[in-house]
Amino acid sequence: MEKRKIKSVNPLRVGLAGLRLKNPVIAASGTFGYGQEYAQYMDLNRLGGIAVKGLSLKPRSGNPPPRIMETTGGMLNAVGLQNIGVEAFINEKLPFLRQYDVAVIANIYGESVGEYSKVAAKLSAASGVHALEVNVSCPNVRKGGLSFGADPKAAAEVTRRVKGETDLPVIVKLTPNVTDIVQIAQAVEKAGADAVSLINTLTGLAVDIKTRTPRLKNITGGLSGPAIKPVALRMVWQVAKSVGIPVIGMGGILTVEDALEFLIVGACAVQIGTANFINPHAMIDIIDGLEAYLEDNKLKHIDDLVGTFKT
Amino acid sequence: MHKNIFIGEICANDEVQKDHFLMKMYLPRTFGAVLPGQFVMVRIAGLTDPFLSRPLSIYSFSLEQNACVLELLYRVVGKGTQILAGLIEGSQLEVLGPLGTGYAMPDTEKNIVFIAGGIGVAPLSLLAEHLCVNSPSCGPNMIFYLGAQSSRQILGLDKLQSLCYAVHVCTDDGSFGKQGLVTDLIRKDIKKYPPGDTIIYACGPKAMLKTLNTILGGKYRCDVSLEERMACGVGACMGCAVAVKEGSGGAAYARVCCDGPVFGLNQIIWD
Ligand SMILES: Cc1cc2nc3c(=O)[nH]c(=O)nc-3n(C[C@H](O)[C@H](O)[C@H](O)COP(=O)(O)O)c2cc1C
Ligand code: FES
Repeated sequence: MEKRKIKSVNPLRVGLAGLRLKNPVIAASGTFGYGQEYAQYMDLNRLGGIAVKGLSLKPRSGNPPPRIMETTGGMLNAVGLQNIGVEAFINEKLPFLRQYDVAVIANIYGESVGEYSKVAAKLSAASGVHALEVNVSCPNVRKGGLSFGADPKAAAEVTRRVKGETDLPVIVKLTPNVTDIVQIAQAVEKAGADAVSLINTLTGLAVDIKTRTPRLKNITGGLSGPAIKPVALRMVWQVAKSVGIPVIGMGGILTVEDALEFLIVGACAVQIGTANFINPHAMIDIIDGLEAYLEDNKLKHIDDLVGTFKT
Repeated sequence: MHKNIFIGEICANDEVQKDHFLMKMYLPRTFGAVLPGQFVMVRIAGLTDPFLSRPLSIYSFSLEQNACVLELLYRVVGKGTQILAGLIEGSQLEVLGPLGTGYAMPDTEKNIVFIAGGIGVAPLSLLAEHLCVNSPSCGPNMIFYLGAQSSRQILGLDKLQSLCYAVHVCTDDGSFGKQGLVTDLIRKDIKKYPPGDTIIYACGPKAMLKTLNTILGGKYRCDVSLEERMACGVGACMGCAVAVKEGSGGAAYARVCCDGPVFGLNQIIWD
């Protein structure tokens, strides 16, 4: 009887920078399309949120193939932010997502500060977007992307401009390809970010020893999957103890145990990326697993776990 | 209802030619029907090395009382397929599918020409079988061109001979059939097949398809199925891009896994 009562409170519910999630499990941008692609494999209503594929002002055709390469415990990708553009997203994809009771997080990308703010403005005027996630970190596009996320001043400026265009919560997604990620996180916090998410992919390389050529046409690509988890965890831990805004953790999460590690070191929510590719049920398994963990450990609410790391 | 990740139980996994395996597995009936040209993503549950699922095209499909029976024909090319090859009867695999588009069916064409290079025989063999079963009048019109490196890489020949009016085999080293590339043979024979009365289906290495495109010169109705590295297999990651022509005369990257794997040869942009 007691248990029933507790359950009706929803022990997994999280409030994060004005964003209400029914659980802390979010599909990571670029790994879940626009939601539709996986809708036939699961009930999207079960998810805490969906961060859609990075959107730019104009459609982008992306990089020439080959774009992906398997590596030990992960993969490299150089998709090059192929997407249908913000207008087509609003007209063709949002109506589908609006049918679901799930937080829609629009991941955005621009080649200039002006582009970021235009994309942000368009999405803020549309109905059915619950938050913006500003990708200042994608390592695949030669110009733009990288420099914003690697430079505290540029990252802060993008944050400020996007904040100026929207009433939606603004999550800034950080790149791990920097010397000191804490410095960038603090800079965007100061500039008004409502939350930060990390980590994006780590820039990597794979070589074909027969032809002595790169495995990817783009030469380098972003590494994701379990191979990056320890690095991601370390960064989430460092950032969580250095900023006052909520932190969304990701990088290599496959199982509920992985997700728990991120929550323990201070992430309020987690994103699941590459795991979706090898197991379309991964997020559902993680949500069920979190609930079971709370029960097993007699925790009333997921908040009682977040940031309980003992060092 | 939502689609499942199916558990396939292997009932045979034999080396039918050097480095080439034929895997037969049982799947639940809910796996559903398969269109020739479609593929599945398979992986060994719980294994993170190799990490990604492997896309394999479907070689044969049949229904039994309580199960779907799926056959996959694959070549050992790397770590993933090496591990698959080691699986014994009774082992289980996670199977996502059937995925992707199938070949367009022939209209009234008098000549149904198949062109396969190496392991590309797998989806075409299923198509030939499908046509024989569902439109028996096709049988006498079906001509199969099968290319392989050597006699040791010829796959599924008996089945093709029982399905098709004629099967022409060629090998790079001349150890079986004619010596040369399958496209050399097509270059010679194409005169026999007038474009308006012919449909061509092809699957094989990129170089073969590219040469075929030059030979056909855009005049034929020709469907090809493509292979590309894949991560998700369902259209979510954009990892499996192929350059195609767009209606307006432009170019775009399509996804092999869900916009294909079957494309009109004339749609594809060969750099
Ligand atoms: C194929 C692919 C495409 C991605 N595209 C985007 C993107 O458009 N925007 C973005 O912010 N992150 C993108 N990412 C990064 C992921 O959202 C995530 O940060 C990263 O993959 C680490 O998490 P994981 O190990 O769980 O995949 C992409 C990742 C992959 C594998
Ligand atoms: S393999 Fe992911 S989109 Fe095709």
